[in-house]
Amino acid sequence: MASLTLDHVTKIFDQKGRPPTLAVKDFSIRVEDGEIIGLVGSSGCGKTSTLRMIAGFESITEGTIRIGERTINKLKASERNVAMAFEGYALYPPLRVSDNIAFSLLRNKVPKARADAKVKMVAELLEITDLLGLYPPTLSGGQQQRVSLARALIRSADVFLLDEPMSQLEPHLRAKLRARIKDYLIQNKMTSVFVTHDQTEAMALADRIAVMDEGVLQQFGSPVDLKERPSNLFVAGFIGEPPMNLLKAQVTAEGRARRLVVQNEQGSQAFSFGVPDRAEAAPLKSGRRLYVGIRPHKIVVAPSGNGAVERVTGTVVSSQWLGDQSYLGVEIGDAFLILVADRSIRAAHDSQITLGLPYGALHFFDSDSGEAVLHGSDLLGA
Amino acid sequence: MSKGLLRRVIRGGLLLVVVLFFLFPMFWVLLMSFQTNQDILRTPPSLTFTPTISNYVALISGEIQTSVGTLPVYYMKNLWNSAFLSACAVAMSLVLGVPAAYAFARFKFRLGEDIAFTLLSFRFAPPILVLLPLQLYFQDIGLYDTYLGLVWVYQLITLPLILWIVRGYFEDISPDIEHAYRLDGHSWFRSMWKIAIPLARPGIAAAGLLAFIFAWNSFIFALVLGSSDVQPVTVGSLAFMTASGIQYGTIAASLVLSVIPTLVLALYTQRYLVEGLSLGAVKG
Amino acid sequence: MAYLEVRGVAKSFGKKKLLDGLSLEVEQGECVVVFGPSGCGKTVLLRIIAGVLEPDRGEVWIGGKSVMNVGPEARGVAMAFQNFALYPHMDAFENIASPLRARSRPEEEIKQRVHEIAGLLRIDHVLDHLPKQLSNGQKQRTSLARSLVHGPSVLMLDDPLRNVDAKIRYEMRLELPRVFRKFHSTVLYVTQDYKEALALGDRIGVLMDGHFEQVDTPAAIYGSPRNRRVASLFGDPPINLFPIRPERGGDGAVHAQIGGQRVALGPRAAELAGRDCVLGVRPEDVAFGFDQAEGGIPVELAAVTPFNVRTVTLLKAPDATEILASRPEDNSLAAARGHRKGWARIDLDRALFFDAASGARL
Repeated sequence: MASLTLDHVTKIFDQKGRPPTLAVKDFSIRVEDGEIIGLVGSSGCGKTSTLRMIAGFESITEGTIRIGERTINKLKASERNVAMAFEGYALYPPLRVSDNIAFSLLRNKVPKARADAKVKMVAELLEITDLLGLYPPTLSGGQQQRVSLARALIRSADVFLLDEPMSQLEPHLRAKLRARIKDYLIQNKMTSVFVTHDQTEAMALADRIAVMDEGVLQQFGSPVDLKERPSNLFVAGFIGEPPMNLLKAQVTAEGRARRLVVQNEQGSQAFSFGVPDRAEAAPLKSGRRLYVGIRPHKIVVAPSGNGAVERVTGTVVSSQWLGDQSYLGVEIGDAFLILVADRSIRAAHDSQITLGLPYGALHFFDSDSGEAVLHGSDLLGA
Repeated sequence: MSKGLLRRVIRGGLLLVVVLFFLFPMFWVLLMSFQTNQDILRTPPSLTFTPTISNYVALISGEIQTSVGTLPVYYMKNLWNSAFLSACAVAMSLVLGVPAAYAFARFKFRLGEDIAFTLLSFRFAPPILVLLPLQLYFQDIGLYDTYLGLVWVYQLITLPLILWIVRGYFEDISPDIEHAYRLDGHSWFRSMWKIAIPLARPGIAAAGLLAFIFAWNSFIFALVLGSSDVQPVTVGSLAFMTASGIQYGTIAASLVLSVIPTLVLALYTQRYLVEGLSLGAVKG
Repeated sequence: MAYLEVRGVAKSFGKKKLLDGLSLEVEQGECVVVFGPSGCGKTVLLRIIAGVLEPDRGEVWIGGKSVMNVGPEARGVAMAFQNFALYPHMDAFENIASPLRARSRPEEEIKQRVHEIAGLLRIDHVLDHLPKQLSNGQKQRTSLARSLVHGPSVLMLDDPLRNVDAKIRYEMRLELPRVFRKFHSTVLYVTQDYKEALALGDRIGVLMDGHFEQVDTPAAIYGSPRNRRVASLFGDPPINLFPIRPERGGDGAVHAQIGGQRVALGPRAAELAGRDCVLGVRPEDVAFGFDQAEGGIPVELAAVTPFNVRTVTLLKAPDATEILASRPEDNSLAAARGHRKGWARIDLDRALFFDAASGARL
């Protein structure tokens, strides 16, 4: 239970016969005591390398890592007081599950009664109580993963590192175990860092998330920050399922007024709307090429008369009901928008539909650099 | 010297020793082929000598000069026989074995495993077991000392090899690829011809090469079932043990020459051997 | 007469009985989804219909005729495989053209039809690539193009979106119905993802233990599942299940203990007094609030997990019962950490009652 600081951490892999690979570049974050942090990005982005550097299984090329005030990057893994759950589980085959979980406790000479009680508690948390007497090779992937998690979570350590902790988990257990694990980590004030390629998992568990791409930190913020104020196109497209609708657009001038022309994939105009004449809208300069983004669940169906909402009309291409939500695919002038609506909305194919795009839900990104230029919430002065 | 460098030097040194140990006999034979018998038999053996190509000349021209006079030698004919017999044997084995391997790999039929194993077992049995009766039969049918007869018998060597190696490669091809081809509307024969065989090409090349080498090296079959007409180099080299002594130099030269065809074949098939399977068309 | 019929098909592998007398009817132009957990035999069923696998028992009828003695190349079915099964030594064009070549179509027609379908599936710019040069999404579309190009009467898709990136999966899931409609295909679609099943199927066949547990429209499967197993398979987070023993109270109404609280079950539970049941409530039918609600259960909010466009909350009742509730995205709820007290109200109009012993819906 301590804070964790990474200062300008860089990792370069030197492999024989190949040019050196820059896996992690100038990575700096500060994790507060008891915070849960997610590292996400597509494969090869450097998240696992970063985790392994914190654990001590990779050396650091540059920078420092501190736990509390202690600099740990020169210490051996066993000396750092971190607990880790590995992607490959790494369970001890000749030991029973209960002994696997209790391993570190027994090594630290915790009295057996207390160790047993803790094992029972963690096993109940992860629903592996009936597996306690079995041996790892007889377990399924999902079961082994839960045992590996249990073994890490039972320890008392300064920092808990979890490498793809729920990737193999049985789908019907995921929602419940995610919530239970989050509760457990918060109640026990465990500073945790976990790596996952599944941004849904990261958004569910983490207090803050570090999004990485090709070794570089793109944005470090809370799930709400990443959703509402993504700092660039990569974060906007990576975070959120279904993914943010991103359309090419260009700002044109009509006399003193400006219009935002949204384009389809071929480059011609799909639809357009006026840019509000406010100081906050200054970044939307005439002639600027942009990407406009809006999240599927922010698009409104059949909007009512008022408010800062841009109305567009299009054709329903697909309509799918998924139990607790509905998906609509709408074509507007050859541009395609996906929207998620309440469970009760169904629309017939090829019917016309009016959609509302609230200004507050729009995001604008520069076409060349991908950097966020303006967020809708700024436009409303919110 | 850093620990890493020292380790690399020692490892290199050990490898060199192992390589020398295995390559040395071949190197020695190569040397011998350029020496006269006197040089070879000289004690103590020496690395310096005046090289001579008289051994090669003798082989190619067909005459050996010995202390008792010139002896006719049919080495070039033997070389041709070896090449012809091995090539024919492998060709026949491929024509028979590849479709059979496909059948074993793709169609599960009763006793399939038993039949396959029986065919493999031919390689376990020592040839001597069948040779005596076979010689009598061959004489009766008139296959003694014929190319057809030897190629047929060589199937005992080459066919099981091709069958087992190529079957393994066919089994490695995801059945879904062929299922997809069948569902497209093609017959099973077209599927074997256009999909399975092209994808198993590295395996077929490897098996063919191995079979060629084994056929080339075979000695006892040709010795018992053939005579001067069809003699391959293996049997033909017996001729170098003359009444006037063993012609080591000529033997060495004949060895060097006989390696060349298989070497050329190996180099030619190499590009098929390194082709990867599946080529990313199936996930994983 | 249905266009595609599976009649009593059974298949075992060694001692393991995978399919046990399976029957299904698919009308022409319909899309039927075969849904089930992994290993339940869905792919085996497809292969039997395709003709590349022989059943131990049973028959397959297509277009009114038995196809049991017809080889796969002549059944008129096309299949898109989960692992794509593209021909590695041919480029994308040749892969897609293969069914047309098998039918000896003229070269001009082949070119035109391949380009047409490649354009529809947006892979016309990679037609000269070899499979190993294609991304997974492109491989999947090539495989789909190949199965569609000759206009098959029956199209079978074996979990085609499984090996495709999550992002592209959403797009393709919305696109596929359009493609099916364009070709008027009779489609059999296999998946383990309940969302795909609900989204794409005109009807869904839930395959469990070698037979179809329920074959129905998506609305019926979701709203009226035959038993608790089917109910648990559809929905994420899965349906909450509470063992209860309804009792008739003094006022004649039926009550039960849920989470340690006595809750009125409403008129639908009138027949259930004295019976051991399981109450099924979907997370979207549990409303959580900090203010006391009538008929609500006092709970402690243990954890808030944002879940894509919804927010899921883990609620703990005083008797340690766990309840999962979900609501549309709620950023303010997610912000605060730590346990807080509140109330959970169950929408009993939408609740499902199952028999405790058999699991059947009551």
